[in-house]
Amino acid sequence: MNSHDDPFREAREKGPILAATFQNETIPMILRLKDIRKAAKDPETFSSDAPRRVPIPSEEDVRTVRQYPLEVDPPVHAAYRKIVEPFFLRPKQPEVLAKIHALIDSLIDKSLAGGPIEVVQDFAIPLQSHALTYMLNVSESEAEHWIGWGIHVFKDGDGKSKGPFMESYCRQMFEAAAENPGDDFFSALNQAELEGRLLTMEEKLGFANIAFAGGRDTIIHTVTRIISYFADNPKALECLHENPSMVNSAAEEFFRVFMPLTHIGRICPHATDVHGFEVKPQGRVSLCWSSANRDPEVFDEPNEVKLDRRPNPHISFGFGAHNCLGAHHARAITRGLIQKLSERVSGIEVLENVELLEEEADYTRKVGYELLRSTFTAR
Amino acid sequence: MPKVTFITAEKTTVEVSDSSGNLMEIALENNITGIGGDCGGVCSCSTCHVYVRKDWIERVGLPDSVEKDTLEFNSHYQPNSRLGCQVEMSDDLDGLVVEVAPAE
Ligand code: HEM
Repeated sequence: MNSHDDPFREAREKGPILAATFQNETIPMILRLKDIRKAAKDPETFSSDAPRRVPIPSEEDVRTVRQYPLEVDPPVHAAYRKIVEPFFLRPKQPEVLAKIHALIDSLIDKSLAGGPIEVVQDFAIPLQSHALTYMLNVSESEAEHWIGWGIHVFKDGDGKSKGPFMESYCRQMFEAAAENPGDDFFSALNQAELEGRLLTMEEKLGFANIAFAGGRDTIIHTVTRIISYFADNPKALECLHENPSMVNSAAEEFFRVFMPLTHIGRICPHATDVHGFEVKPQGRVSLCWSSANRDPEVFDEPNEVKLDRRPNPHISFGFGAHNCLGAHHARAITRGLIQKLSERVSGIEVLENVELLEEEADYTRKVGYELLRSTFTAR
Repeated sequence: MPKVTFITAEKTTVEVSDSSGNLMEIALENNITGIGGDCGGVCSCSTCHVYVRKDWIERVGLPDSVEKDTLEFNSHYQPNSRLGCQVEMSDDLDGLVVEVAPAE
Protein backbone atom coordinates (compact mmCIF):
# COMPACT_ATOMS: atom_id res chain seq x y z
CA MET A 1 0.00 0.00 0.00
CA ASN A 2 1.13 3.49 -0.86
CA SER A 3 0.69 6.21 1.82
CA HIS A 4 -1.32 8.22 -0.71
CA ASP A 5 -4.03 5.55 -0.51
CA ASP A 6 -4.70 6.19 3.18
CA PRO A 7 -3.07 9.48 4.17
CA PHE A 8 -5.17 9.68 7.36
CA ARG A 9 -3.89 6.49 9.00
CA GLU A 10 -1.48 8.09 11.41
CA ALA A 11 -3.89 10.85 12.46
CA ARG A 12 -6.73 8.34 12.88
CA GLU A 13 -4.59 6.19 15.16
CA LYS A 14 -3.77 9.22 17.32
CA GLY A 15 -7.26 10.64 17.64
CA PRO A 16 -10.69 11.18 16.16
CA ILE A 17 -9.87 14.25 14.06
CA LEU A 18 -7.20 15.84 11.87
CA ALA A 19 -7.20 19.63 11.96
CA ALA A 20 -6.36 20.46 8.35
CA THR A 21 -6.01 23.79 6.59
CA PHE A 22 -7.76 24.60 3.30
CA GLN A 23 -7.39 28.09 1.82
CA ASN A 24 -6.62 29.71 5.22
CA GLU A 25 -9.46 27.90 6.97
CA THR A 26 -8.64 25.22 9.53
CA ILE A 27 -11.24 22.47 9.49
CA PRO A 28 -11.47 19.44 11.79
CA MET A 29 -11.75 16.34 9.62
CA ILE A 30 -13.70 13.62 11.41
CA LEU A 31 -11.83 10.39 10.68
CA ARG A 32 -13.61 7.43 12.28
CA LEU A 33 -16.62 5.69 10.82
CA LYS A 34 -18.92 5.73 13.83
CA ASP A 35 -18.27 9.42 14.55
CA ILE A 36 -19.04 10.32 10.92
CA ARG A 37 -22.30 8.40 10.92
CA LYS A 38 -23.30 10.21 14.09
CA ALA A 39 -22.50 13.64 12.66
CA ALA A 40 -24.24 12.87 9.35
CA LYS A 41 -27.41 12.10 11.30
CA ASP A 42 -27.33 15.41 13.19
CA PRO A 43 -28.12 18.17 10.65
CA GLU A 44 -29.00 20.67 13.37
CA THR A 45 -25.42 20.66 14.62
CA PHE A 46 -23.79 19.79 11.29
CA SER A 47 -25.81 21.56 8.63
CA SER A 48 -25.75 21.43 4.81
CA ASP A 49 -27.55 24.75 4.51
CA ALA A 50 -24.57 26.57 3.02
CA PRO A 51 -24.59 27.32 -0.70
CA ARG A 52 -21.30 26.42 -2.43
CA ARG A 53 -19.64 25.63 0.92
CA VAL A 54 -20.58 21.99 1.45
CA PRO A 55 -17.68 20.72 -0.68
CA ILE A 56 -14.18 21.31 0.70
CA PRO A 57 -12.45 23.32 -0.68
CA SER A 58 -15.43 25.63 -1.27
CA GLU A 59 -16.82 26.07 -4.76
CA GLU A 60 -17.59 29.79 -4.54
CA ASP A 61 -15.27 30.57 -7.45
CA VAL A 62 -16.44 27.83 -9.79
CA ARG A 63 -20.23 27.88 -9.63
CA THR A 64 -22.85 30.53 -9.04
CA VAL A 65 -25.70 28.33 -7.81
CA ARG A 66 -26.58 26.36 -4.71
CA GLN A 67 -26.62 22.60 -5.45
CA TYR A 68 -29.93 20.80 -4.80
CA PRO A 69 -30.67 18.70 -2.84
CA LEU A 70 -27.10 18.63 -1.47
CA GLU A 71 -27.03 22.08 0.08
CA VAL A 72 -30.29 22.18 2.02
CA ASP A 73 -31.30 20.65 5.34
CA PRO A 74 -34.26 18.52 6.37
CA PRO A 75 -37.20 18.89 6.37
CA VAL A 76 -37.31 20.84 3.07
CA HIS A 77 -34.47 18.65 1.75
CA ALA A 78 -36.92 15.75 1.32
CA ALA A 79 -39.19 17.81 -0.95
CA TYR A 80 -36.27 18.83 -3.15
CA ARG A 81 -34.91 15.29 -3.28
CA LYS A 82 -38.28 13.83 -4.26
CA ILE A 83 -38.41 16.00 -7.39
CA VAL A 84 -35.37 14.39 -9.03
CA GLU A 85 -35.49 10.94 -7.44
CA PRO A 86 -37.35 9.26 -10.37
CA PHE A 87 -34.43 10.04 -12.71
CA PHE A 88 -31.85 8.73 -10.26
CA LEU A 89 -33.82 5.47 -9.99
CA ARG A 90 -33.85 4.92 -13.76
CA PRO A 91 -30.64 2.80 -13.79
CA LYS A 92 -32.62 0.15 -11.86
CA GLN A 93 -34.97 -0.33 -14.83
CA PRO A 94 -33.99 -3.40 -16.91
CA GLU A 95 -34.09 -1.47 -20.22
CA VAL A 96 -31.81 1.30 -18.88
CA LEU A 97 -29.45 -1.29 -17.40
CA ALA A 98 -29.36 -3.08 -20.77
CA LYS A 99 -28.26 0.17 -22.44
CA ILE A 100 -25.47 0.62 -19.88
CA HIS A 101 -24.29 -2.95 -20.56
CA ALA A 102 -24.37 -2.41 -24.33
CA LEU A 103 -22.36 0.78 -23.90
CA ILE A 104 -19.71 -1.05 -21.85
CA ASP A 105 -19.59 -3.81 -24.46
CA SER A 106 -19.01 -1.28 -27.24
CA LEU A 107 -16.16 0.37 -25.28
CA ILE A 108 -14.57 -3.02 -24.64
CA ASP A 109 -14.90 -3.81 -28.38
CA LYS A 110 -12.90 -0.68 -29.16
CA SER A 111 -10.33 -1.48 -26.48
CA LEU A 112 -9.80 -4.93 -27.96
CA ALA A 113 -9.63 -3.68 -31.54
CA GLY A 114 -5.87 -3.36 -31.71
CA GLY A 115 -3.46 -0.78 -30.35
CA PRO A 116 -3.35 0.75 -26.90
CA ILE A 117 -6.10 3.00 -25.56
CA GLU A 118 -5.92 5.87 -23.09
CA VAL A 119 -8.40 4.67 -20.50
CA VAL A 120 -9.36 8.10 -19.11
CA GLN A 121 -10.18 9.73 -22.47
CA ASP A 122 -11.14 6.70 -24.53
CA PHE A 123 -13.05 4.69 -21.96
CA ALA A 124 -13.97 6.33 -18.65
CA ILE A 125 -15.09 9.76 -19.90
CA PRO A 126 -17.22 8.39 -22.77
CA LEU A 127 -18.69 5.76 -20.43
CA GLN A 128 -19.65 8.38 -17.84
CA SER A 129 -21.01 10.86 -20.39
CA HIS A 130 -23.09 8.41 -22.43
CA ALA A 131 -24.46 6.63 -19.36
CA LEU A 132 -25.59 9.95 -17.93
CA THR A 133 -27.76 10.54 -21.01
CA TYR A 134 -29.65 7.35 -20.12
CA MET A 135 -30.19 8.51 -16.56
CA LEU A 136 -31.34 11.99 -17.54
CA ASN A 137 -33.33 10.55 -20.46
CA VAL A 138 -31.89 12.99 -23.00
CA SER A 139 -30.64 12.30 -26.52
CA GLU A 140 -27.42 10.28 -26.49
CA SER A 141 -25.82 12.85 -28.82
CA GLU A 142 -25.70 15.32 -25.88
CA ALA A 143 -22.84 13.24 -24.48
CA GLU A 144 -20.57 14.69 -27.17
CA HIS A 145 -20.93 18.15 -25.57
CA TRP A 146 -20.07 16.85 -22.12
CA ILE A 147 -17.02 14.82 -23.12
CA GLY A 148 -15.00 18.03 -23.46
CA TRP A 149 -15.68 19.05 -19.88
CA GLY A 150 -12.75 16.88 -18.76
CA ILE A 151 -12.35 14.67 -15.71
CA HIS A 152 -13.61 17.21 -13.20
CA VAL A 153 -15.92 19.97 -14.41
CA PHE A 154 -14.55 22.46 -11.89
CA LYS A 155 -10.84 21.65 -11.85
CA ASP A 156 -9.50 20.13 -14.99
CA GLY A 157 -5.94 19.68 -16.08
CA ASP A 158 -5.67 22.98 -17.97
CA GLY A 159 -6.52 24.78 -14.70
CA LYS A 160 -9.61 26.41 -16.17
CA SER A 161 -12.94 25.57 -14.61
CA LYS A 162 -15.59 24.42 -17.08
CA GLY A 163 -18.22 25.52 -14.52
CA PRO A 164 -19.45 28.56 -16.51
CA PHE A 165 -19.77 26.49 -19.73
CA MET A 166 -21.75 23.89 -17.89
CA GLU A 167 -24.07 26.48 -16.35
CA SER A 168 -24.78 28.19 -19.67
CA TYR A 169 -25.26 24.81 -21.37
CA CYS A 170 -27.82 23.83 -18.70
CA ARG A 171 -29.61 27.17 -18.98
CA GLN A 172 -29.98 26.59 -22.74
CA MET A 173 -31.23 23.06 -22.14
CA PHE A 174 -33.94 24.33 -19.75
CA GLU A 175 -34.97 26.96 -22.30
CA ALA A 176 -35.05 24.45 -25.16
CA ALA A 177 -37.08 22.01 -23.04
CA ALA A 178 -39.58 24.76 -22.23
CA GLU A 179 -40.12 25.27 -25.98
CA ASN A 180 -40.25 21.59 -26.69
CA PRO A 181 -41.14 19.58 -23.58
CA GLY A 182 -40.42 15.84 -23.34
CA ASP A 183 -39.81 13.12 -20.74
CA ASP A 184 -36.31 14.30 -19.95
CA PHE A 185 -34.69 15.70 -16.80
CA PHE A 186 -34.81 19.32 -18.01
CA SER A 187 -38.52 19.21 -18.92
CA ALA A 188 -39.36 17.49 -15.63
CA LEU A 189 -37.65 20.25 -13.66
CA ASN A 190 -39.40 22.94 -15.74
CA GLN A 191 -42.72 21.43 -14.70
CA ALA A 192 -41.87 20.41 -11.12
CA GLU A 193 -43.63 22.06 -8.22
CA LEU A 194 -42.24 22.69 -4.79
CA GLU A 195 -44.68 23.70 -2.08
CA GLY A 196 -47.22 24.81 -4.70
CA ARG A 197 -44.89 26.86 -6.94
CA LEU A 198 -42.65 26.22 -9.93
CA LEU A 199 -38.90 26.08 -9.39
CA THR A 200 -36.79 29.15 -10.06
CA MET A 201 -34.07 29.00 -12.74
CA GLU A 202 -31.50 29.18 -9.93
CA GLU A 203 -32.99 26.04 -8.36
CA LYS A 204 -33.17 24.18 -11.66
CA LEU A 205 -29.56 25.05 -12.42
CA GLY A 206 -28.63 23.87 -8.95
CA PHE A 207 -30.19 20.44 -9.55
CA ALA A 208 -28.43 20.14 -12.90
CA ASN A 209 -25.14 21.34 -11.46
CA ILE A 210 -24.72 18.41 -9.10
CA ALA A 211 -26.06 15.88 -11.61
CA PHE A 212 -23.27 16.93 -13.98
CA ALA A 213 -20.45 17.81 -11.59
CA GLY A 214 -21.05 15.36 -8.71
CA GLY A 215 -21.57 12.41 -10.98
CA ARG A 216 -18.53 13.02 -13.14
CA ASP A 217 -15.09 12.68 -11.54
CA THR A 218 -16.51 10.16 -9.07
CA ILE A 219 -17.51 7.74 -11.84
CA ILE A 220 -14.47 8.46 -14.02
CA HIS A 221 -12.01 7.78 -11.18
CA THR A 222 -13.86 4.65 -10.08
CA VAL A 223 -13.67 3.24 -13.62
CA THR A 224 -9.98 4.03 -14.14
CA ARG A 225 -8.97 2.67 -10.77
CA ILE A 226 -10.81 -0.60 -11.32
CA ILE A 227 -9.11 -1.06 -14.70
CA SER A 228 -5.73 -0.25 -13.19
CA TYR A 229 -6.40 -2.70 -10.34
CA PHE A 230 -7.14 -5.49 -12.81
CA ALA A 231 -3.94 -4.69 -14.67
CA ASP A 232 -1.95 -5.06 -11.43
CA ASN A 233 -3.94 -8.08 -10.23
CA PRO A 234 -4.70 -10.43 -13.13
CA LYS A 235 -5.71 -13.12 -10.64
CA ALA A 236 -8.62 -10.96 -9.53
CA LEU A 237 -9.95 -10.84 -13.09
CA GLU A 238 -9.58 -14.61 -13.33
CA CYS A 239 -11.28 -15.11 -9.98
CA LEU A 240 -14.27 -13.00 -11.05
CA HIS A 241 -14.42 -14.88 -14.34
CA GLU A 242 -14.75 -18.10 -12.41
CA ASN A 243 -17.07 -16.67 -9.74
CA PRO A 244 -19.47 -14.25 -11.43
CA SER A 245 -21.61 -14.13 -8.28
CA MET A 246 -18.78 -12.13 -6.68
CA VAL A 247 -19.40 -9.09 -8.91
CA ASN A 248 -21.57 -7.21 -6.41
CA SER A 249 -19.29 -7.64 -3.41
CA ALA A 250 -16.28 -6.77 -5.60
CA ALA A 251 -18.02 -3.54 -6.65
CA GLU A 252 -18.66 -2.58 -3.01
CA GLU A 253 -15.03 -3.32 -2.12
CA PHE A 254 -13.85 -1.09 -4.97
CA PHE A 255 -16.18 1.68 -3.75
CA ARG A 256 -14.62 1.31 -0.29
CA VAL A 257 -10.95 1.38 -1.22
CA PHE A 258 -11.07 3.61 -4.29
CA MET A 259 -13.42 6.19 -2.76
CA PRO A 260 -13.09 9.07 -5.23
CA LEU A 261 -14.59 11.70 -2.92
CA THR A 262 -12.17 12.20 -0.02
CA HIS A 263 -14.63 14.08 2.19
CA ILE A 264 -17.43 16.61 2.29
CA GLY A 265 -18.23 19.47 4.62
CA ARG A 266 -20.91 20.55 7.03
CA ILE A 267 -21.43 23.97 8.61
CA CYS A 268 -21.86 24.45 12.35
CA PRO A 269 -24.58 27.12 12.83
CA HIS A 270 -23.45 27.49 16.47
CA ALA A 271 -20.12 27.21 18.23
CA THR A 272 -19.46 23.46 18.44
CA ASP A 273 -16.89 21.29 20.15
CA VAL A 274 -15.88 18.69 17.57
CA HIS A 275 -13.86 16.09 19.48
CA GLY A 276 -11.93 18.82 21.26
CA PHE A 277 -11.67 21.25 18.34
CA GLU A 278 -13.69 24.44 18.80
CA VAL A 279 -15.60 25.31 15.61
CA LYS A 280 -16.84 28.91 15.50
CA PRO A 281 -20.40 29.71 14.35
CA GLN A 282 -20.59 29.24 10.54
CA GLY A 283 -17.28 27.36 10.63
CA ARG A 284 -16.95 24.01 8.90
CA VAL A 285 -16.21 20.39 9.71
CA SER A 286 -15.31 17.62 7.29
CA LEU A 287 -16.86 14.17 7.14
CA CYS A 288 -13.93 12.17 5.86
CA TRP A 289 -15.61 9.21 4.17
CA SER A 290 -12.34 7.93 2.71
CA SER A 291 -10.75 7.68 6.15
CA ALA A 292 -13.83 5.99 7.64
CA ASN A 293 -13.60 3.33 4.93
CA ARG A 294 -10.22 2.27 6.31
CA ASP A 295 -11.17 2.38 10.00
CA PRO A 296 -9.58 -0.74 11.55
CA GLU A 297 -12.28 -0.76 14.27
CA VAL A 298 -14.74 -1.70 11.52
CA PHE A 299 -12.77 -3.38 8.71
CA ASP A 300 -10.42 -6.34 9.17
CA GLU A 301 -7.19 -5.68 7.30
CA PRO A 302 -8.57 -2.41 5.92
CA ASN A 303 -5.78 -2.00 3.39
CA GLU A 304 -6.35 -5.38 1.77
CA VAL A 305 -8.67 -5.53 -1.24
CA LYS A 306 -10.97 -8.50 -0.60
CA LEU A 307 -13.38 -9.02 -3.45
CA ASP A 308 -15.71 -11.09 -1.28
CA ARG A 309 -15.58 -8.82 1.78
CA ARG A 310 -18.71 -9.25 3.88
CA PRO A 311 -19.79 -7.39 5.86
CA ASN A 312 -18.52 -4.23 4.20
CA PRO A 313 -20.26 -1.28 5.83
CA HIS A 314 -18.37 1.37 3.84
CA ILE A 315 -19.81 4.87 3.62
CA SER A 316 -18.68 5.77 0.11
CA PHE A 317 -22.20 6.90 -0.68
CA GLY A 318 -22.50 8.94 2.50
CA PHE A 319 -24.93 8.28 5.31
CA GLY A 320 -28.28 9.66 6.38
CA ALA A 321 -30.60 12.06 4.56
CA HIS A 322 -28.08 13.11 1.90
CA ASN A 323 -26.92 9.62 0.97
CA CYS A 324 -25.89 9.58 -2.66
CA LEU A 325 -28.75 9.80 -5.13
CA GLY A 326 -26.40 8.63 -7.87
CA ALA A 327 -25.58 5.36 -6.09
CA HIS A 328 -27.92 3.27 -8.29
CA HIS A 329 -26.25 4.71 -11.36
CA ALA A 330 -22.75 4.22 -9.94
CA ARG A 331 -23.54 0.62 -8.98
CA ALA A 332 -25.07 -0.17 -12.37
CA ILE A 333 -21.97 1.11 -14.18
CA THR A 334 -19.45 -0.45 -11.82
CA ARG A 335 -21.09 -3.86 -11.64
CA GLY A 336 -21.56 -3.86 -15.42
CA LEU A 337 -17.92 -2.96 -15.92
CA ILE A 338 -16.63 -5.71 -13.62
CA GLN A 339 -18.97 -8.27 -15.14
CA LYS A 340 -18.09 -7.46 -18.75
CA LEU A 341 -14.35 -7.18 -18.17
CA SER A 342 -14.25 -10.50 -16.35
CA GLU A 343 -16.27 -12.15 -19.13
CA ARG A 344 -14.38 -10.73 -22.08
CA VAL A 345 -10.88 -9.63 -21.09
CA SER A 346 -8.07 -11.94 -19.96
CA GLY A 347 -5.49 -9.31 -19.18
CA ILE A 348 -4.75 -5.59 -19.13
CA GLU A 349 -1.30 -4.10 -19.41
CA VAL A 350 -0.55 -0.53 -18.36
CA LEU A 351 2.01 1.15 -20.64
CA GLU A 352 2.03 4.58 -19.00
CA ASN A 353 0.17 6.26 -16.18
CA VAL A 354 -0.06 9.63 -14.47
CA GLU A 355 -1.68 9.52 -11.06
CA LEU A 356 -4.12 12.23 -10.07
CA LEU A 357 -3.29 13.35 -6.56
CA GLU A 358 -5.37 15.62 -4.33
CA GLU A 359 -2.67 17.77 -2.80
CA GLU A 360 -3.66 19.77 0.27
CA ALA A 361 -1.51 21.44 2.89
CA ASP A 362 -1.95 18.57 5.37
CA TYR A 363 -2.31 15.51 3.19
CA THR A 364 -1.87 14.12 -0.31
CA ARG A 365 -4.36 11.54 -1.46
CA LYS A 366 -4.54 9.53 -4.67
CA VAL A 367 -7.98 9.87 -6.24
CA GLY A 368 -7.50 8.48 -9.73
CA TYR A 369 -5.52 8.90 -12.93
CA GLU A 370 -4.98 11.75 -15.31
CA LEU A 371 -3.76 9.31 -17.88
CA LEU A 372 -3.72 5.52 -18.12
CA ARG A 373 -2.45 4.13 -21.42
CA SER A 374 -3.18 0.42 -21.63
CA THR A 375 -3.68 -2.58 -23.86
CA PHE A 376 -6.50 -5.06 -23.35
CA THR A 377 -6.24 -8.74 -24.32
CA ALA A 378 -9.36 -10.68 -25.26
CA ARG A 379 -10.26 -13.84 -23.39
CA MET B 1 -38.79 -25.91 2.72
CA PRO B 2 -39.19 -22.99 5.15
CA LYS B 3 -41.93 -20.42 4.79
CA VAL B 4 -41.50 -16.70 5.50
CA THR B 5 -44.10 -13.92 5.53
CA PHE B 6 -43.33 -10.28 4.69
CA ILE B 7 -45.70 -7.49 5.75
CA THR B 8 -44.95 -4.31 3.80
CA ALA B 9 -45.20 -0.78 5.19
CA GLU B 10 -48.55 -0.54 3.33
CA LYS B 11 -49.66 -3.67 5.24
CA THR B 12 -49.69 -5.99 2.25
CA THR B 13 -48.91 -9.56 3.30
CA VAL B 14 -46.77 -11.76 1.05
CA GLU B 15 -46.10 -15.38 1.95
CA VAL B 16 -43.12 -17.11 0.41
CA SER B 17 -42.95 -20.87 0.78
CA ASP B 18 -39.90 -22.79 -0.37
CA SER B 19 -37.68 -19.87 0.55
CA SER B 20 -33.91 -20.12 0.44
CA GLY B 21 -31.09 -17.64 0.79
CA ASN B 22 -31.23 -14.58 3.02
CA LEU B 23 -34.27 -12.40 3.62
CA MET B 24 -33.01 -9.63 1.31
CA GLU B 25 -32.54 -12.05 -1.61
CA ILE B 26 -35.92 -13.67 -0.97
CA ALA B 27 -37.60 -10.25 -0.85
CA LEU B 28 -36.00 -9.15 -4.13
CA GLU B 29 -37.00 -12.36 -5.90
CA ASN B 30 -40.56 -11.82 -4.77
CA ASN B 31 -40.71 -8.06 -5.44
CA ILE B 32 -41.47 -7.12 -1.85
CA THR B 33 -42.14 -3.36 -1.81
CA GLY B 34 -39.71 -1.40 0.34
CA ILE B 35 -36.74 -3.79 0.13
CA GLY B 36 -34.00 -2.28 -2.06
CA GLY B 37 -31.00 -4.49 -1.36
CA ASP B 38 -28.94 -1.78 -3.03
CA CYS B 39 -25.49 -2.86 -1.84
CA GLY B 40 -26.11 -6.50 -2.72
CA GLY B 41 -25.94 -7.75 0.86
CA VAL B 42 -22.73 -6.42 2.39
CA CYS B 43 -24.31 -4.50 5.27
CA SER B 44 -23.59 -1.06 3.85
CA CYS B 45 -26.85 0.49 2.65
CA SER B 46 -29.58 -0.67 5.08
CA THR B 47 -32.26 -0.73 2.37
CA CYS B 48 -33.27 -4.23 3.49
CA HIS B 49 -34.27 -3.16 6.99
CA VAL B 50 -36.99 -5.33 8.56
CA TYR B 51 -38.62 -5.76 11.96
CA VAL B 52 -38.67 -9.31 13.24
CA ARG B 53 -41.96 -10.22 14.96
CA LYS B 54 -41.33 -10.17 18.70
CA ASP B 55 -42.07 -13.89 19.16
CA TRP B 56 -39.36 -14.71 16.60
CA ILE B 57 -36.55 -12.49 17.88
CA GLU B 58 -34.98 -15.15 20.03
CA ARG B 59 -34.81 -17.73 17.28
CA VAL B 60 -33.61 -15.26 14.61
CA GLY B 61 -31.05 -13.75 16.98
CA LEU B 62 -29.75 -10.24 17.46
CA PRO B 63 -27.53 -8.32 15.06
CA ASP B 64 -23.77 -8.53 15.48
CA SER B 65 -21.87 -5.33 16.20
CA VAL B 66 -21.25 -4.33 12.55
CA GLU B 67 -24.90 -4.80 11.63
CA LYS B 68 -26.04 -3.03 14.79
CA ASP B 69 -23.81 -0.04 14.07
CA THR B 70 -25.29 0.24 10.57
CA LEU B 71 -28.85 0.00 11.90
CA GLU B 72 -28.52 2.04 15.04
CA PHE B 73 -28.50 5.46 13.37
CA ASN B 74 -31.45 4.60 11.14
CA SER B 75 -34.40 6.88 11.90
CA HIS B 76 -36.70 3.84 12.12
CA TYR B 77 -34.45 1.68 14.29
CA GLN B 78 -36.21 -0.53 16.86
CA PRO B 79 -34.87 -3.20 19.18
CA ASN B 80 -36.27 -5.88 16.82
CA SER B 81 -34.61 -4.37 13.73
CA ARG B 82 -32.48 -6.56 11.46
CA LEU B 83 -30.92 -6.20 8.05
CA GLY B 84 -32.55 -8.79 5.81
CA CYS B 85 -29.25 -9.59 4.11
CA GLN B 86 -27.86 -10.83 7.41
CA VAL B 87 -30.69 -13.28 8.17
CA GLU B 88 -30.27 -16.61 6.40
CA MET B 89 -33.46 -18.67 6.10
CA SER B 90 -33.35 -22.19 7.49
CA ASP B 91 -35.79 -24.90 8.54
CA ASP B 92 -35.41 -23.56 12.03
CA LEU B 93 -37.07 -20.33 10.92
CA ASP B 94 -40.02 -21.98 9.15
CA GLY B 95 -43.06 -19.72 9.66
CA LEU B 96 -41.05 -16.52 10.30
CA VAL B 97 -42.92 -13.20 10.02
CA VAL B 98 -41.11 -9.90 9.36
CA GLU B 99 -42.34 -6.38 8.69
CA VAL B 100 -40.61 -4.13 6.18
CA ALA B 101 -39.36 -0.96 7.91
CA PRO B 102 -40.25 2.42 6.38
CA ALA B 103 -37.68 3.96 4.01
CA GLU B 104 -35.07 6.25 5.60
C1 HEM C 1 -18.72 6.28 -7.15
C2 HEM C 1 -19.46 7.31 -7.41
C3 HEM C 1 -20.03 8.25 -6.39
C4 HEM C 1 -19.64 8.49 -5.10
C5 HEM C 1 -18.52 7.81 -4.33
C6 HEM C 1 -20.54 9.49 -4.55
C7 HEM C 1 -20.50 9.96 -3.25
C8 HEM C 1 -21.47 10.77 -2.67
C9 HEM C 1 -21.53 11.12 -1.27
C10 HEM C 1 -20.53 10.69 -0.21
C11 HEM C 1 -22.65 11.88 -1.08
C12 HEM C 1 -23.14 12.47 0.26
C13 HEM C 1 -22.90 13.94 0.37
C14 HEM C 1 -23.28 14.51 1.72
O1 HEM C 1 -23.60 13.79 2.67
O2 HEM C 1 -23.23 15.75 1.85
C15 HEM C 1 -23.28 12.04 -2.36
C16 HEM C 1 -24.44 12.77 -2.59
C17 HEM C 1 -24.97 12.97 -3.85
N1 HEM C 1 -24.53 12.41 -5.04
FE1 HEM C 1 -23.03 11.07 -5.27
N2 HEM C 1 -21.42 9.85 -5.52
C18 HEM C 1 -21.15 9.12 -6.65
C19 HEM C 1 -21.82 9.18 -7.86
C20 HEM C 1 -22.84 10.05 -8.14
C21 HEM C 1 -23.48 10.18 -9.42
C22 HEM C 1 -23.14 9.34 -10.64
C23 HEM C 1 -24.40 11.18 -9.31
C24 HEM C 1 -25.31 11.76 -10.34
C25 HEM C 1 -25.37 11.45 -11.59
C26 HEM C 1 -24.38 11.64 -7.92
C27 HEM C 1 -25.20 12.60 -7.41
C28 HEM C 1 -25.32 12.88 -6.06
C29 HEM C 1 -26.34 13.78 -5.51
C30 HEM C 1 -27.43 14.50 -6.28
C31 HEM C 1 -26.12 13.83 -4.12
C32 HEM C 1 -26.90 14.67 -3.09
C33 HEM C 1 -27.97 13.87 -2.40
C34 HEM C 1 -28.70 14.66 -1.35
O3 HEM C 1 -28.21 15.70 -0.91
O4 HEM C 1 -29.80 14.22 -0.94
N3 HEM C 1 -23.41 10.93 -7.25
N4 HEM C 1 -22.56 11.34 -3.32
